[in-house]
Amino acid sequence: MIDPYYLQQLAIGLSLGMTYALMAIGFTLIFGVLNVVNFAHGEVYTLGAFAGLVLISATAPPIFAVIFIALAIGAMAGFSLERIAFKPFRRFTDEASLKSRAMRESTLLSSLAVSIVVREALEIVFGSQMRSVPFEYLINTPVRIGPVILVTGDFIIFGVAAAMLIGLQYLLTRTRIGLSIRAVSNNPLGAKYVGIDTDRTIIMTFVVGSMMGAAAGILTGLYYGAIFPAMGFVPGIKAFVAMVMGGLSSIPGAVICALILGISESMATTFVSSGWSDMVAYGFLILTLIFFPNGLFGARRERV
Amino acid sequence: MTALKTASLAALMTAALAGTALAADTVKIGYQLPLTGETAQYGQDFRKAAEIALAEFNAAGKPFKAEIVFEDSRSDAKEGTNIARKFVDDKEIVGVLGDFTSGVSMASAQVYKDAGMPQLSQTASHPDYTKISKYQFRNIATQAQEGPYNAKWMLSKGYKNIAVIAEQTDWGQSVVSGFTDGVKANGGTVVFSEFFNRGLKDYRSLISKLERAKPDAIYTGFFYEDGAQFLRQVQQLGIKTPVYSTSAAYSPKLIELAGEAAEGVHLTSNFLPTDPAPHIQHFVTEWKAASNGAVPGQFPAQAYDAVRIMLAAVEKAYPNPTREKVRDALAQTKDFAGVTGKTSFSADREAEKELVKVEVKGGAFVPVAD
Repeated sequence: MIDPYYLQQLAIGLSLGMTYALMAIGFTLIFGVLNVVNFAHGEVYTLGAFAGLVLISATAPPIFAVIFIALAIGAMAGFSLERIAFKPFRRFTDEASLKSRAMRESTLLSSLAVSIVVREALEIVFGSQMRSVPFEYLINTPVRIGPVILVTGDFIIFGVAAAMLIGLQYLLTRTRIGLSIRAVSNNPLGAKYVGIDTDRTIIMTFVVGSMMGAAAGILTGLYYGAIFPAMGFVPGIKAFVAMVMGGLSSIPGAVICALILGISESMATTFVSSGWSDMVAYGFLILTLIFFPNGLFGARRERV
Repeated sequence: MTALKTASLAALMTAALAGTALAADTVKIGYQLPLTGETAQYGQDFRKAAEIALAEFNAAGKPFKAEIVFEDSRSDAKEGTNIARKFVDDKEIVGVLGDFTSGVSMASAQVYKDAGMPQLSQTASHPDYTKISKYQFRNIATQAQEGPYNAKWMLSKGYKNIAVIAEQTDWGQSVVSGFTDGVKANGGTVVFSEFFNRGLKDYRSLISKLERAKPDAIYTGFFYEDGAQFLRQVQQLGIKTPVYSTSAAYSPKLIELAGEAAEGVHLTSNFLPTDPAPHIQHFVTEWKAASNGAVPGQFPAQAYDAVRIMLAAVEKAYPNPTREKVRDALAQTKDFAGVTGKTSFSADREAEKELVKVEVKGGAFVPVAD
């Protein structure tokens, strides 16, 4: 018989991993297309949460309206983000600039700049204090399953993450836009030559990815009951680690690695001080990078 | 330039002697605090409190006007030292307030020590801070005072086996050591002690681990954000072990964020916004007017007092205040009637404060006898 204590830790780890996975899905999707880290994803997450919060405090809407507004704001944020931080660096469409590392790395900085501006703007508008969510909207009523206690939010987040993953797989493999996303991700120049509107595809990717980011933000906000401008930072880092471990462009890989991260953090707490549990997660990252340079689930990638 | 200054000063002194209340002179003090970044909420509050204190001072018809230069340290030690150098280079600045965290305050203190600049932090409570030099003062009870006080309180309630958790910072370590010493000295046992990273979202792993040690009560060193998450998750996991905390968690935001889960939490404080004393009510009213009706917590109150203590010292050093004179005036502060109780600085520049025991009851902090 396993000590129920470990079952409880496992459950906590899974639920923690799920919140990371929620963020990692959109993050990896955007990376997959442009091969560049979108540092503003954490702020899209925060914007989604604030959009939900503003709606909750203004009216008393049903929960699905809250999610809907978060999705809408996420879509808008994704669209504008692409416009401001990514599109200007795709002005030149010749092969040399499309493959240029400098071009890609400059979007690294432009997205970082957008993320700083958005975070500071949110601080000016809403203040940097944590804001509470009215209790009736919280999704953390305890649920007891045998010796293990979880909360309702764990199941909701699990459901949403699963739906996102399955929906995205469907989108990527069965629809035209999905096919063009994969084509652009594989070879942007080739995609352009065969007549795919790469700009439109990239915008769509940002919109879809950011909607997922915003949904992750509002769900996590309702789950932990605190919304504040800096809330996207830590999940952003965890999602990044999960993405790298998972092989950069593999979405299922990122989800599995997010779960591994969550479980290793909660399990590590048992054996080392909680302050060190992050070290275990990052230790995994280093080991992955040393022994599986392509990530645990990444295919062998062409060097660009 | 210097001659001009001396001349204008001489003119001012003549004016002062002549009994006219001509306020032409301005004395500058620096305030380093986090205005952006993860601890910005505290720094913003300090600035608000400082502005209230400053406006009052300048409206009171004193012989000179005071000015505060605010600099954003982002709670970053490197940034803090840069600001310290900047303040030191500004010859007009005669005293410095801040920083927020013990870590940054101590890093900056090295600069102030060499330059002979008096530094008064409203919150740095690490025991080593005031030991840096004779220029470091603080307006907060240290964990070396608060820890044993809370240890006695909990033991008197019959809790013999106590678990301690605190954030992984200089301050958090002083919480654990101060409290553990107090518990041991009074015959109790600390059955579990651990640190967590500030800003941790999920405490459930830590709480489950802590409960395995079967403590009678939990003593915690956290601020309200971490505290609210912790208390909520304690409630989610169905744990009924009583929770005690330090004055750092004393903020209306704790109750707002944790809701029902905050019920029954015990902690100490040296500021009660419900105290009917007129000067306290005055501050509470001013604060509410400046922050949409929100009630001030302990930290803004400490900042308000710190600014007023500093201004009083500058006034004492006036006319012609120098850094050295301001330092000496600060050191002489005795029974300063602030909103956080009467404050005197001991010989080692520690604020001697009275602590009040408080419990969360019915969604409010209520003073309790034991």
